[in-house]
Parts: sequence; C-alpha cells; structure tokens
Amino acid sequence: MSPIGFVALIIGIPALVLLGYVLITGSTGLRRYILTRIVLTLPMVLILGSLVFLIMRVVPGDPVSSALGPKGTPEMIQHIREQLGLNDPIIVQYGRFLGHMFTLNFGNSLVGGHRPIADEMSERFPATLELIVPASVLALLIGIFGGAHAASRRKGPVDYAWRIYAVVIYSLPIFWLGLMLQLLFGVKLGWLPISGRIDPIIGTTLVHRTNIYTIDSIISGNWLALKSVLQHLVLPTITLGLILSGIFVRLTRINVIETLSMDYISAARARGIRERVLVYGHALKNALIPIITLIGLQVAILLAGAVLTETVFSWPGMGSYLVERISQRDYNAVQSVIVVFALLVAMISLAVDVIYSLVDPRVRY
Amino acid sequence: MTALQERPPEDIPEEITWEVELQKVGIVRRILNARKWYGADWWFVAISSVLVAIFIIIAVFPSLFAPYKPDALVGPSFLAPGAYPPVPVLVLPNISSANTLKDLAVPAGQPRPGISVVQGGNTAGALNDAAKEIDNQIKTEPEGLRLRPNIDRYASVEEALQAVVDGKDAAAVVESDEFAALKAQYPTLRQGESLTGGSKTAGGFLLGTNDIGQDVWSRLLWGTRVALIIGFSASILSLIIGVPLGLMAAFIGGSFDRLLSLVMDSLYAFPGLILAIAITAVLGPSIVNVIVAIAVLYIPTYYRMVRGQALSVKEDVYVEAARSIGARSREILQRYIFPNVIPSVAIIFSVNVADAILTGAGLAFLGLGLPPTVPDWGIDLARGQRFIQNAWWMITFPGLTILLVVLAFTLMGEGLMEIFNPKLRER
Amino acid sequence: MPEDILYSIRNLVVEYTTRAGAVKAVDDVSLDIRRGEILGLVGESGCGKSTLGKALMRLHTGPAKITEGELWFDGRDLMTLPIEEMPEIRGAEIGMVFQDPMTSLNPVQRIIEHLTETIQTHEPEVSDKDARKRSEELIERLGIRKERITEYPHQMSGGMRQRVMISLALSLRAKLVIADEPTTSLDVIVEAKFLDLLKELQKEFGLTILLITHNIGVVAELADRIAVMYAAKMMEVGNVDDVFAHPKHPYTQGLLRSVPNILLDGAELYKMAGAPPDLSHPPSGCRFHTRCPFVMDICREEVPPLEAIEGAQYAACWLYPSVMAKRQEKDHA
Repeated sequence: MSPIGFVALIIGIPALVLLGYVLITGSTGLRRYILTRIVLTLPMVLILGSLVFLIMRVVPGDPVSSALGPKGTPEMIQHIREQLGLNDPIIVQYGRFLGHMFTLNFGNSLVGGHRPIADEMSERFPATLELIVPASVLALLIGIFGGAHAASRRKGPVDYAWRIYAVVIYSLPIFWLGLMLQLLFGVKLGWLPISGRIDPIIGTTLVHRTNIYTIDSIISGNWLALKSVLQHLVLPTITLGLILSGIFVRLTRINVIETLSMDYISAARARGIRERVLVYGHALKNALIPIITLIGLQVAILLAGAVLTETVFSWPGMGSYLVERISQRDYNAVQSVIVVFALLVAMISLAVDVIYSLVDPRVRY
Repeated sequence: MTALQERPPEDIPEEITWEVELQKVGIVRRILNARKWYGADWWFVAISSVLVAIFIIIAVFPSLFAPYKPDALVGPSFLAPGAYPPVPVLVLPNISSANTLKDLAVPAGQPRPGISVVQGGNTAGALNDAAKEIDNQIKTEPEGLRLRPNIDRYASVEEALQAVVDGKDAAAVVESDEFAALKAQYPTLRQGESLTGGSKTAGGFLLGTNDIGQDVWSRLLWGTRVALIIGFSASILSLIIGVPLGLMAAFIGGSFDRLLSLVMDSLYAFPGLILAIAITAVLGPSIVNVIVAIAVLYIPTYYRMVRGQALSVKEDVYVEAARSIGARSREILQRYIFPNVIPSVAIIFSVNVADAILTGAGLAFLGLGLPPTVPDWGIDLARGQRFIQNAWWMITFPGLTILLVVLAFTLMGEGLMEIFNPKLRER
Repeated sequence: MPEDILYSIRNLVVEYTTRAGAVKAVDDVSLDIRRGEILGLVGESGCGKSTLGKALMRLHTGPAKITEGELWFDGRDLMTLPIEEMPEIRGAEIGMVFQDPMTSLNPVQRIIEHLTETIQTHEPEVSDKDARKRSEELIERLGIRKERITEYPHQMSGGMRQRVMISLALSLRAKLVIADEPTTSLDVIVEAKFLDLLKELQKEFGLTILLITHNIGVVAELADRIAVMYAAKMMEVGNVDDVFAHPKHPYTQGLLRSVPNILLDGAELYKMAGAPPDLSHPPSGCRFHTRCPFVMDICREEVPPLEAIEGAQYAACWLYPSVMAKRQEKDHA
C-alpha cells in the first residue's frame, strides 16, 4: 500500500463518515460543531508531537553513531547527519518536523535503508488495525452484555462475579495474559500458533493489497491463507479484547445501574414492563450514550495494550515498530509513530462524539 | 383553589433516600459503618489491606523472606518447582572400607586419592567444596591426614565409573539419579555419602529456578521492592506536581489555566505506556528514569481532579460568602478545598500505585527502563518468554505476583472510594 | 372485604436498610380505598407517603422492603403473589403518575413508543397499527394534537408530559391510579388545568385515584376523602369535608392552620413547633408527642391505634375516649 493509502486509512475513513453524516443531516449547527471538534483536536496532536520532539532532542546521545555502531567512522556519521538534517539548528528541525506532521509524510528513517517512514508505517499500520478492530468488538460484546447482566442482578452473586472479573482483568498485566494464553493454547495444547500474523510458508502465497491479511486473503480467494491468518489472530485478539473488556464491563455496569435508578425506569416498571426489557431495552439503551463516550476515552488503553500484545505475539504492527525503533534510536520513526497514535486517539474520540450525536435525540448544538 | 401551594416548587426536597449524611460522620465510624453497609465489599477492602501490608513488609525486608539473593546462582538451570536438584554422591567400590569422603584422607606425603568426575557437570564443584571443607576440619586434627584429592575428569558417567571399577580412581562423584540408572551395570560399586555439604538447595526450589540457576521465588520477593519503589515514588512525584498545578490553574484561571489544561488533557488522552516508552527510551535505563516517566503520565489525573474540585468548591455559596467577609485564599484552601480534595487524592493515589506498577512492569517487559540486573517481575517475564517451551514456571509466577499486588492496591482504592465518597448514594 | 372497597392496606410495614440500621418508612399503616373515590394522602415530605404509594404496586427495589402486612386489591392479596407476576398488575390494573413529568418519560423513546409498548406488553395480541390508533385517540382525548405523538419527551412542556403520563395510566383502563405529587412541578395555571382534567377523567373512566400530595389545597379541591400521615404513621382518615371542618388529630389541626389561606387575609400563619422526627430513631409512643400542644404522659409511652372518632372519621390520638377504650379492651384481653 502506498503512503497515500495509509493516510486514507487513518484519516480518510472517519472523515468520509463525518462528511456523509453532515451532508445527510445538513444542519448548520452540527456542521459548525464538528468543525470545532476537528479544530480542537489539532492542538492535542501538536502538543504531543512537540513534546516528543523536544524530549528526543534535549537528551544527549547521537542516534546516527548508535545506529551505525562501532564501524561508523566520524566522516560517515557527519555525512549521514548532514543528509538527515540533524546538523541544522533545532528550530529548523522543528519546522521541518511540523511540516512532516501536517503533510503526514514524516521524512526518512534514520536507520537501515533510510526508507520513508510513511512507507514503513503503511506496512505496519494495517497489522495493528487488524488486531485492534476484532479485539474492540470482542471487548464491547463482553463488556456491554456483562455489564448489563451484572447491573440487572445488582448485589447478587452474578453481580459480584462480574465485578471481580472486571477488577481482576483490570489488574492483569496484558503481556502476562498473552504469555499464559501462549503457554496454554500454544505450548501445552498445541492448538494455536503463538507468534506472527501468518504461517511463513503460506504467507508467500498471499497477495498483499491492503496489508490487512484477512481482507487480502478473502479478495484473492486464498482460503488456506485465511485459515492461517485467523488462527494467528485468535490469541492476540483474545488477549487485547479481554483486557479491554474489564473496563467496559465496569463502565456499563455503573451506567446501567445509574440509569436503572432513574424515574423513567420506575415509571416504566410501574406500567408493568418486565425487568428484562427494562434492563436490556430501556436502561441499556439510555446508558449506551454515556458508555459510548467513556469507551471512546479508553482508546488510550486499547493502543497501549496493542503495543504490549504486539510485542508478546511478535505481531508486526505499529507497537512493535515503535519498540524496535526505540532500541535503534530512530528518532524520526519514534516521533512519527507517536504523532500517528495521537492522530488516532483524536480521530476516535471525534468519531465517538459523532456517534453520540447520532444516538442521543437530545443533543443540540 | 382555596389555598396556594405550601411552598414554591424549588423548595420541595426530593424523595428522601434514608441515609446518614456522611459528611457529618467521623472517618472511623464511616469505616465501621461501611462494614455493615457494603456487604461483600467490606471483605474486598479487608483482604486487600492485608495484602498491601504484606507486600509493603516484604518490600522493606526482602532478605527476611527470600532464601537467596536475587542474583545469586544457586542451583541448576530450569529446575521445576518442587523438583530436587540432582545430588552429587560418592561412588565407591564394594570392597572399599571407606564410606565418606573424609575416609579417603591420607597422611601427609602419601599419594593423594584419585576421584573421577564427569566433565562439565556440577559434581566437580561439589567435590571441591566438600574436600575443602574436610581439609579445613582435619587440618587441626593430630594425625596429619590430608585429603586434597586428584580430580580426574571423564567425558561420560560410564567412563568415570569404569575408572573406579578399574581401580584407577579410589572413588567417583556422580549425580545420584545417574548412578541409580546405571547401578545394575556396575555390581561392584556402591553409593556412599551425598556431597551436598548441608546446602539448603538440596530440598529443591519452591518456584523453580530460571535459565541461569537463580531462585525464582527469591527474585519474586526482591522484585516486590523494585515494584513498590516504582509505584509509590511515581505516584508521590505526580501528586506533588499535579496537585499544586491543579490548584494554581483553578485559582489563577485565565489563559494560564486554559493552556495548562490543554496540555494536561492532551497528556491524559494519550496512551500512557506509549509516552512512557518514548521517555524512558530517551532517558536511558535506570530506576529513577522509569519513575520520572511514569510520574509524567499521572500528573494530569491529579491535575484534572484537583482543578475540577477546586473550581466547584470555589463557586459554592459558602465559599463565596467566606470570601465576601474577607477570608484569605489560604484559609479557603485549608477550610474548604483540602477537605474536599484529600479523600479523592487518596483514592487516586491508591489506584495510581497499582497502575504505575503495571506500567513499570510493562516497560521492563519491553526491555526499557530498568537495567537488566535489577530483580524485576517485568524483566523476569521477558526472560521467561524465551523459554516458554520448557519452563512454564518462569512466566507463570512473576505475572501472578504482579496480578496480586495490583489487585490489592486497586481493591484498596475501590474500598476507599466507597468509604470516602459521600456522593455515592444508595437508593 | 366489602364490595365497595377496591384496595385495602392492612398493617403495612416498609423498611429501608440504611447505614444507620433499619428504618421503617411506613409503620403499621392500614387504609381502605373505595371504588370510584379520590383519596388524598397528605403529609410532609419524608413522612412515607410516596413509599406507601409505591408499596401498593410492590415497586420497591434495593434497600426498601415490605416486611409485614397485607395488600388486598380487588379481592386478591398482592403480597401472596410471586413478585414475577406483579408486572401483570402494574399498568394493567393499577396505574401510576409520578411526581416529575420531566424525568418520568424515557428520553430516548418517542411518546408513541411509550404508549404502544405499554399496550402491547399487557395485550400482546394487539397489532402495531391498532396500538398506534388507540394511543392517538387517547392522546387526543387528553388534549394533545396527535401529530405530536412522534415527538421525544424533551420536545414537550411539563403540562403536556404530565398528560402523557396520565394517558399511559389510562391506556389499559387501570382501575386504580396512584398519582404521586402529580402537580408539584407544574406552575399554578397548568396545575389548575391539570386537576380539572383529572377530575373529568375520573368521572369519564370511573377511576379510583389515590392522590399523594403535600398540598392540602389540591386535596380540598379534588378529593373525596383524606388520609393524613406523619412520620411513617397514619394519623387521621376521614371525609374531606369533615376533616377540614373538624380536624381531630392535633397534627391535622396544626397542618390545616399552617396552610396559607386567601380568605384569612393577613392573619398570621401558624407554625408548628419543632421538626419531624428522624425516622432512624423515632420517638417512643405517639410519633407526634414531641410537637403536640396537648401532650399527655401516655403519649410518650404508647402508640395510639387508629380508631373511629365520629362517624367515618378516624384518628390515632389518646385525646379521644374511643381510642382509650380500645386500649382498655386490649388490656382486658
């Protein structure tokens, strides 16, 4: 996939959704609201990017010499520094960094073949996407139904079981959960592979179009590859999904309980509406609105979890890219990854806001 | 209508919820009442407090509980939990009158006894240690006996035993299980004393040993210290920075508040671990750097909470009134804001310690932050992952410990929240 | 149970579990609601009247619990029904109108959905179209244009929402409507209109209404009989005219005197001494003795039973010989 395709992935899809939504509803108030929200997310990306830029520069240590290792002569180092613009005044470098940030073209890597970072990320990003999307779906399913189930049996054993589940999951180191799943299902039972995205031999038969392997194998009709991809997906998805689900159960439970104490629930109960309908129809539907918002805020946990999950499962996504490049002191790559993550956080929270306004009839601008 | 309403509608109190106004109740009574009121939650709090206390004690005095130093190479590699390490035993010809190593000692000047061992095994070391000990003992005895054996190394157990059969060596030192397996082939040999030297490793290791023969259990206990240092220091540091910043933002207001809030909100929204990765990567591996990196993550938590509470208190009618009669900012801070903020800070602190321990372990697992020599659960897990195929205990126990510690602090935070928070009403 | 009594509450006790121990919010209350009447249940906030109203449908959740008593509705003791069967009675036979119309309607449900859901819950055989038609007719009868039926609650005014609440109670022809402070959040003009409507509907549908309110004026306007509660206990029950003309219980007397009256014009309002007691530590004997101007020794020691004083007027007060007689009767037995 080209850098342009990569850019389209991270900002194009949410942008299209937004645009479509604004066109359909077409109220000027909403349009202004969404524009304001977009404008408000920019400072966050800028601040985080600048923060990382600053940290990377103020600290002693030369990335080029550490990247070249002992065989790098001073002339070579100077030459590469010159090429990469590391000898420029810091303000010039900052300007260039900002330019890269806004054009999403990030410059070149400081190590290896000095490839454009956007190219490298375009290979890594789809892998992360392939991991976080099913994990989020799993977490939402467990979280929303578990939370509502717990709320409907308030103070009973079911409720306590779900609460203990939530707090244990919250306290679980995600990388350890991954290791335990690997140990059980990979090593002891031998059911599932414990690392990578696809069997390396089958992988050679896969035609790469989107770099999202499930989609690639489906569009090329490569069912053997699809099977291998899905098998590789199971453990990382469960790991990340379970960790997220703890917070979701908790959030859903609290909000459904709160909603169940509302007057309109008592009123509905007084009209003879059954408890099941009250919990899953009325309370859950109303609680979903705050739940969506709160879940949107958990994107930070999702991404942090993704970094660790990718490391445990040798999943070649953005997280393992970040960890790899950090050990190689590839500052350009590291700050670019941070900027992309910040963009992702901003975009998801924006999308959550839009969903919010879709679900709640009371929202006015 | 014959009468007007008794009271204007806004004066009508909502349906009462039958509760004691918690703010009027002392902290001890709140905790005692919590036992009756929260049912099973009470047990969560009690158990977690005990756990926290235990972990703190272990962290302060790990040497009292841990049998070994965390980095001591005390046993064979990959010894499973509960398994016995192979014991080096003396193997003698049946005809020999000797039974112990000491019996092989000879008067000074005579040729020293030859003892065969297997090359590259642990037995030579055990033999040397045992011989040295005996030498030190018999030095003071009057007969002038000397031991100092000639050690002959052979490529395999069979060769070493054959040397004894052939009379080349007076005895062999091999591992007990190896001799037991071969005993039938060497009817002329018998097993003598064990050369454990009274070492405590003979009983095996509770949680097994790692790839280089360190005791997993000892490393776990010593790791508590590192984890708690990181957890507490990082939380205290962010508290010290975050709380005053929040107060300042609330009191100064204006563009200072706006700018600071923007920065804090950005930090808050961003995945903490990723930021910590970047910071520790740049700062380099050291425990202080890890603490700083994690502290940065939690500053926004305190900042937002304190700022929010201070702002809402500032707008309360009674504070307005206090202001209007000339109360100083310091007084307002002491009398109105701190009492509101301190319980929330305590709750956040407890949860933050838990979170910081998790983040610290995550960083260590990624190979960032801590020098590899530090006994840390995250580092142990990362090392264990390499041996996942053959040493399940290396990854199981450190993770379980992290889970327990984090669980204890989280539950304590939850319990504190229920006890402190007067807004949490039951209907 | 006599034919003319629709709902008979016998020795009802409702307890709340609280951080301070068990609190009886309704303590040994008995009350009959007659068919076709409007019974006004009055008392200060927190006296347990709303708790009593909810208990009639066994609506309590969480820390509240009915610990004793019988609830005879239309010949059945509801307390003997399994709680799972209560939804069949709620809405279909007993309807409820809540205090705050602003919060009593589901904000993400349209008005029509409220109505059709209620109808179809109890009568699953009714088609969507029929349910819709019935809802529209009902809404129009209550003076809301039927085009507005597809709106969300937040798009309607308070008075309109309260009419929607009534329509929900009427949608299944409930025999008894419990109206819990239905007008407190409405302004005076809307309140007057609403009360007129309630009276009209009561006649038209032959409703029995339990009107829970702290507003004596509303009771005077609307009710046939009045029941006065104080600190979880029933103090006085009687016809509105009798009670207003000759209140028997000192609490009722104080309550009536403390209501501002346009006719009194300038006369100073009476203020009862003291405050209602803390129900977690209720006073011994008569709950009102701490504030009663006629307090006697016996009031501090023994709880007076609710007894007939004059005709159909009942009071729980040791001042009256019939109450005393009851005590002696008990002693003999």
